[in-house]
Amino acid sequence: MKQENEILVAESTETELLLVTDNDNDILLVEDNDGDAEMTIRALKKHNLANHLLHLKDGAQALDFLFAEGGYSGRQVENTPKIILLDLKMPKVNGKEVLKRIKSDPRTRKIPVVILSSSKEDPDIEQCYDLGANGYVVKPVEFDLFHKVVSELGLFWMIVNQPPQ
Amino acid sequence: MKNEQLVYQNEEKEKRAAELVIANKELAFQNQEKAKRAAELTIANKELAFQNEEKGKRAAELTIANKELAFQNEEKGKRAAELTLADKELAFQNEEKGKRAAELTIAGKELAFQNEEKGKRAAELTIANKELAFQNEEKGKRSAELTIANNELLFQNKEKEKRAAELTIANKELAFQNEEKGKRAAELTIANKELAFQNKEKEKRAAELTIANKELLFQNKEKEKRAAELIIAHEELLYQNAEKEKRAAELIIANKELAFQNEEKEKRAAELTIANRELLFQNEEKEKRAAELIIANKELAFQNQEKEKRAAELNSANNELKKAEDDIHKLNEELEQKVIERTEQLVAANKELESFSYSVSHDLRTPLRLVHGYTRILKEDYGINLDTEANRLMNNIISNAKKMGQLIDDLLTFSRLGRKELVKMNIPVSSMVTTLCSEIKNENGNRNIEFKINELQPAKGDNAAIKQVWVNLISNAVKYSKLTEKAIIEIGCETKENEIIYFIKDNGDGFDMRYADKLFGMFQRLHTDEKFEGTGVGLAIVHRIISKHGGSVWAEAKVNEGATFNFSLPK
Repeated sequence: MKQENEILVAESTETELLLVTDNDNDILLVEDNDGDAEMTIRALKKHNLANHLLHLKDGAQALDFLFAEGGYSGRQVENTPKIILLDLKMPKVNGKEVLKRIKSDPRTRKIPVVILSSSKEDPDIEQCYDLGANGYVVKPVEFDLFHKVVSELGLFWMIVNQPPQ
Repeated sequence: MKNEQLVYQNEEKEKRAAELVIANKELAFQNQEKAKRAAELTIANKELAFQNEEKGKRAAELTIANKELAFQNEEKGKRAAELTLADKELAFQNEEKGKRAAELTIAGKELAFQNEEKGKRAAELTIANKELAFQNEEKGKRSAELTIANNELLFQNKEKEKRAAELTIANKELAFQNEEKGKRAAELTIANKELAFQNKEKEKRAAELTIANKELLFQNKEKEKRAAELIIAHEELLYQNAEKEKRAAELIIANKELAFQNEEKEKRAAELTIANRELLFQNEEKEKRAAELIIANKELAFQNQEKEKRAAELNSANNELKKAEDDIHKLNEELEQKVIERTEQLVAANKELESFSYSVSHDLRTPLRLVHGYTRILKEDYGINLDTEANRLMNNIISNAKKMGQLIDDLLTFSRLGRKELVKMNIPVSSMVTTLCSEIKNENGNRNIEFKINELQPAKGDNAAIKQVWVNLISNAVKYSKLTEKAIIEIGCETKENEIIYFIKDNGDGFDMRYADKLFGMFQRLHTDEKFEGTGVGLAIVHRIISKHGGSVWAEAKVNEGATFNFSLPK
């Protein structure tokens, strides 16, 4: 599935129009933990929300992708995902820095960013809101709850929420 | 296990920090008190020092007065000694005068005696004189008689011569007649011769008488001389007597004068004696007074000494206090430094803990979530293909992972409480509790629960924290009375002078008071999980919140007879 998405992104420069229309459901999941990612994707999948989901494993990759840098230099920056699910604790560039870059660039500023944290104890929760986070979700330990939370989250941002344009 | 330890350490550190803060406040208060006391002592000391000074002055004045008195006493002593000497001299003079008077008396007596003797002798002389005069007279008479006798004799002699002549004639005639009478003449011659002899004898006798007369004359003359001498001697004696009388008179006068002088001297001596006695009395009085003053002085000196001692003691006490204060100051500074250091350490530790709890919450929860999640997925996807035992085991994994998640959450709540600053405000406890009770009642809709909520005083505290306390305590009451057919939970409060005591009473399972001290400890449970599930963190959270508010929490219970939880909050 990851492969599928990555290929999808890699081809984005050529199939831009298609991608734009396809990307109506685009979800960018930035999560360093494969297990968490799997759980999240599984939950979203249950509601058919994970068809166009891109999973990136750290902040650096996320920034490269979002700003069409590095391996993603051929990408159109304006081709933004519908929602970014951003983990905070990540190697290299952490979620907060990614959030800061996203929200300080006019091209990406409008992308809804929901912070997925393992803990409500995160000291950066307030800072995240200051930086412009659109939501802050604590991943429950209990699978059912987790499942519920992620599903609702996906449904809301992908279906309920009306983005600008 | 490691997790529990860490949390426990965290709690301990926070407790220690709270204790240190309290200890610090206490120390600050003690310091303040000591500073006050030190200030009071300083004032008392100054006062004492001032009193001492005054006393010192007075003592100095007294010492001067004493010295003056001592000097006066000395002077008086000297004067007394001089007076004693003068007295002695006077006494000596008196004695001398007495002696002299005695001597004079003796001399007077002697003189009187001599005068008497002289008088006697004069009298004797007068008598002798008179005798002499009488003898002289007698002698004069005799001499006159003798003269007369002489004259007679002379006349007789003349007569005899005449007769002799006549006789011669008569003789011649007779011679004639003698012749004639021749015979007769012879006879006559013989008669003559006889007569001649008789004459001769008579002449011899006349011569003898003349001699005797001459002798008598000489004797008379001698006697006259002697009488004259006696007269002269008498006169001399008279003169001497007169002189002696004069002298006696003079002596008497002198004596009188002496007596007068003696009298005067005696008077003076008496006066002096009186004066002396008076002086002695005065001296005695002065000595008494001096003695009294010496005693008073000694007493004063003693008092001064005592006061000095006391002052010294006070001084030393003060110094000690000062030292103690300094020590305390030092200690305080050290403590403050330590507190600062500790606080820094604690802040650092807290930060560490924060990141630690973040790590716990983040890193511990993630694998746990995955354990839970994967087991859930396993069960979901393959549960049908697995037997009952496999499903049971999977269920156990799921429930334990869930419990561990709850534990971590509770632990994090507890840890967060320690870090979070309390925001104190007025809390409408009554409405808060009423709301909570109805919420909890709704959550336990299948249970028969009766809440008896009395009027509850508003409290001052952190709204969220106090709410947490009520949630935990009410939930506990509900939880532990779940085996009772009808749970009756009474909530009330009691207003004390400085605090409000709230209570939550249930009719549930209760507990054994022997384990009451374990109630509020972290992860401490008095019931099995099968009977009453729980993490053992709820009451620890309650304890922490109430402690942070400066209150206390305690419980009373009996097994199977329900429990009453009380907590107090300062007004």
